[in-house]
Amino acid sequence: MSPRGRIVLMRAAQTGGVDCDDEWYDAMETCMQCRGCEAACPAGVPFGELISGTRSAMSAVRRAPVHLRVGLWALTQHRLLLFGSRILAVLQRLRVIPRVGFLPRRLPLVGSRLSYRADGDVILFTGCVMDVWQPEVHDACQYVIEVTGSTVARSGPTAGCCGALHEHAGLHGTARRLAKQVVQALKGNEPVLVDSAGCGAALKAYGDLLGTPEARTFSDRVRDVHEWLEERMESLPSLPDGDRPGVIVQDPCHLRHVQGAHMSLRKVLSQYVDVVELNDDGLCCGAGGSYSLLQPELATAARDRKVDLITKASGLSGAELVVSANPGCSMHLAAVGLDVLHPMQVLAEVLEAGIDPEGVRDGQ
Amino acid sequence: MVHKMPSGTDELIADLADAIGAGRVTAGGAAREIYGRDSSIIEGGHSGPVCFPESTRQIAECVRVAVAHGRDFVPRGAGTGLSGGAVPCNDPVVISTTRMNRILEVDVERRIAWVEPGVINLDLSRHLAGTGLHFAPDPSSQQACTIGGNLANNSGGPHCLAYGVTSEHVAAIEVVLSDASTVLLGAEVGDAVGYDLRGAFVGGEGTLGIAARIAVRLTPDPPVVRTLLLDFQSLVDAAETVTGIIAAGIVPAALEMMDRNTVEAVENFVEAGYPRDAEAVLIVELDGLEEGVTHEIKIVKRVGNENGVGTVRVAADDVERELIWKGRRNAFGAIAHIKPGYYLHDTVVPRTRLAEVVAKVNEAVERHDLIVANVFHAGDGNLHPLMAFDPREPGVMERVYAASEEIVRIAIEAGGVLSGEHGIGLEKRGFMPLLYSPDDLSAQRALRDAFDPVGHANPLKMFPTGSSCGDVMHLAEVPEGVWV
Ligand SMILES: Cc1cc2nc3c(=O)[nH]c(=O)nc-3n(C[C@H](O)[C@H](O)[C@H](O)COP(=O)(O)OP(=O)(O)OC[C@H]3O[C@@H](n4cnc5c(N)ncnc54)[C@H](O)[C@@H]3O)c2cc1C
Repeated sequence: MSPRGRIVLMRAAQTGGVDCDDEWYDAMETCMQCRGCEAACPAGVPFGELISGTRSAMSAVRRAPVHLRVGLWALTQHRLLLFGSRILAVLQRLRVIPRVGFLPRRLPLVGSRLSYRADGDVILFTGCVMDVWQPEVHDACQYVIEVTGSTVARSGPTAGCCGALHEHAGLHGTARRLAKQVVQALKGNEPVLVDSAGCGAALKAYGDLLGTPEARTFSDRVRDVHEWLEERMESLPSLPDGDRPGVIVQDPCHLRHVQGAHMSLRKVLSQYVDVVELNDDGLCCGAGGSYSLLQPELATAARDRKVDLITKASGLSGAELVVSANPGCSMHLAAVGLDVLHPMQVLAEVLEAGIDPEGVRDGQ
Repeated sequence: MVHKMPSGTDELIADLADAIGAGRVTAGGAAREIYGRDSSIIEGGHSGPVCFPESTRQIAECVRVAVAHGRDFVPRGAGTGLSGGAVPCNDPVVISTTRMNRILEVDVERRIAWVEPGVINLDLSRHLAGTGLHFAPDPSSQQACTIGGNLANNSGGPHCLAYGVTSEHVAAIEVVLSDASTVLLGAEVGDAVGYDLRGAFVGGEGTLGIAARIAVRLTPDPPVVRTLLLDFQSLVDAAETVTGIIAAGIVPAALEMMDRNTVEAVENFVEAGYPRDAEAVLIVELDGLEEGVTHEIKIVKRVGNENGVGTVRVAADDVERELIWKGRRNAFGAIAHIKPGYYLHDTVVPRTRLAEVVAKVNEAVERHDLIVANVFHAGDGNLHPLMAFDPREPGVMERVYAASEEIVRIAIEAGGVLSGEHGIGLEKRGFMPLLYSPDDLSAQRALRDAFDPVGHANPLKMFPTGSSCGDVMHLAEVPEGVWV
């Protein structure tokens, strides 16, 4: 099904030219909302707006499946999420629970290893599940930002979840409520830096979602961490010429198609590593927010295609490391055994090794 | 209003599902809405059940069941066609090739690849990366269109100037005929003995049968490629430069032109650095050995200078080159930056008369109070005047149709033909008598009947006929007073 086809169906539903039967719903629900069509569209059709409006109208008629609703609700309950995740982490180590596709293979037992301050030059947006499941990414990000000489505060549980997945699932009301909470919690003028492409895209869209001047001002402060770093390259140390590892870049849709920040990522990374391209115009890996849970068959097909490309790129370049700037994508790819890091983790490691080679060796 | 399917459809659906599996047949309103159209402005098509076969045998089964029920069948690739070839008339069985998208075999030594018809053009190019070979036909729709569709429309693309259109890149085709039998046309190497039925099938627009497997010829990548962007203050100067380049003995890999309105629209989307104040820009691509290309660049610059070129920019690297091409490829869609709708013509005129024809076309369209933007495969005289309009404006379609008739007349009067590469389909079938005598047409019909004696393979396309399909009939009438 193409975006053109979906637009035809949306229009037909509006004019009464088609019954909104299961097939029609299926056509809307199988859209990954990767927004790749928007980036490719020379006519500038705002497909994201069309599909999210449609999904929101759909959710009023047909409720989302129970497991999705419970899951999305849990994202808004930071303590519960943390508590539940730790229990799961213990159970995983005791090997008493089977592997669950979307869960990281080793949930962390502890949170951030870095101390952080109540206020800083920038606010690092920590979100919900990423804070619990991938605290090391936030740590790496904070480390790199600090190397540039800036201090970092974190958004933390008061700001909480950005609501991207809720909006994605058509739960417009919840998404708005969460957006208001974030805007309220993060008053001030500091830039809000984001290391999750999905969250970044959502925060940047608060202006349109809420339509208030405060929300617009807030959205203007939001930067993907790569965009922010790109403007501060001179504050990052230049390291002696050594081995440059090859790194395969997987572009999250919300970084490339929605935020258009994929070139910033390349600029920043290529200062220290050799960037290996997949040359697929940023096709979706199939993670698609909660898509991989709701449409496992299509999500798996999309992932297979991506894994093939990664294998091919790896064969041609010899690079083995894969990076992705979105937790959903990296978990989706990790579920088939790929080792996927966040670009900030690679950068932090390279910088750490370059700045303090002894320290790194000690740490190993 | 929801369109009702004719009686007997339930049995047809059941038989199709029995034959190829229920998961490969759909007949809901949503599918019929989507498969009722292609990328042309033709509205009002009605599809019957839509099938998604996954093998040659399953294509044959779809055909067998359709014909047994007395229904027509319409092959469909990606539906990017611009002349209504895939638009279904009279609730036929639509046979979509989208699930037949496997690249079966690449033989680098013999430069042949066997592909299924639903393989997307760009996917094949990407798959071949690193082999030193590529599939030369590169329609601007290559991100979406299928090799089967390219074959059926004998499609072209910017690089077909030097390398030839699809027909030259198809060695053999496995075809399912309307009696559900399968034949192999052409040969992997050399020419098949006897009549060139492969050649007859290419460009058949699905009226001769369905291509189920295709052996395409692969072309070696050129050692060096350079892309030049030239801008001019007048369209005539740009056209003279095109003629001058060819007259100097160069056949560039590609030679494309865009006028001011097109550049304006495209630049809004790609920001490729096209000069917005130019009346026309030329994209000239040269390829071959380093020395040859360097020499040709000099000649192109000289010819440009003789014709008042503004600047000549040589793309510095692949990124810049790709950006220049991205602009050209997206020219049609970008017209939405001017007006939300467009109607595009596809005619070919003798290269030497390009400037004169464009001036007349522009005058005619503007007289009908419409905006015109021109994109050309200038090297082979293939003109694409686009009329931009807002379909919500009352009475606008009448003006579009009136201007269309004039465009066709102007092109044919200048010694041109009806279609360069987009096919006849439904859109231009009524114009066929302008180019062909009744004898010519009946000879062509005889060929069609030989392939499809029962007349169920995508009928109503290509040939003028009394029966109507879709809301396109007023377009297809021969304009009065046209001179042939
Ligand atoms: C933005 C845009 C740019 C374009 N640029 C170009 C261009 O540069 N050059 C060009 O030539 N065209 C161009 N086109 C037109 C179109 O993309 C081509 O004609 C393309 O080859 C059609 O392929 P498709 O898979 O979409 O076929 P469809 O539109 O699905 O079908 C086209 C015709 O082929 C028949 N057909 C499809 N598959 C088979 C099969 N397996 N066996 C037998 N018959 C079959 C159909 O019945 C129909 O008659 C453009 C279109 C668009 C929208």
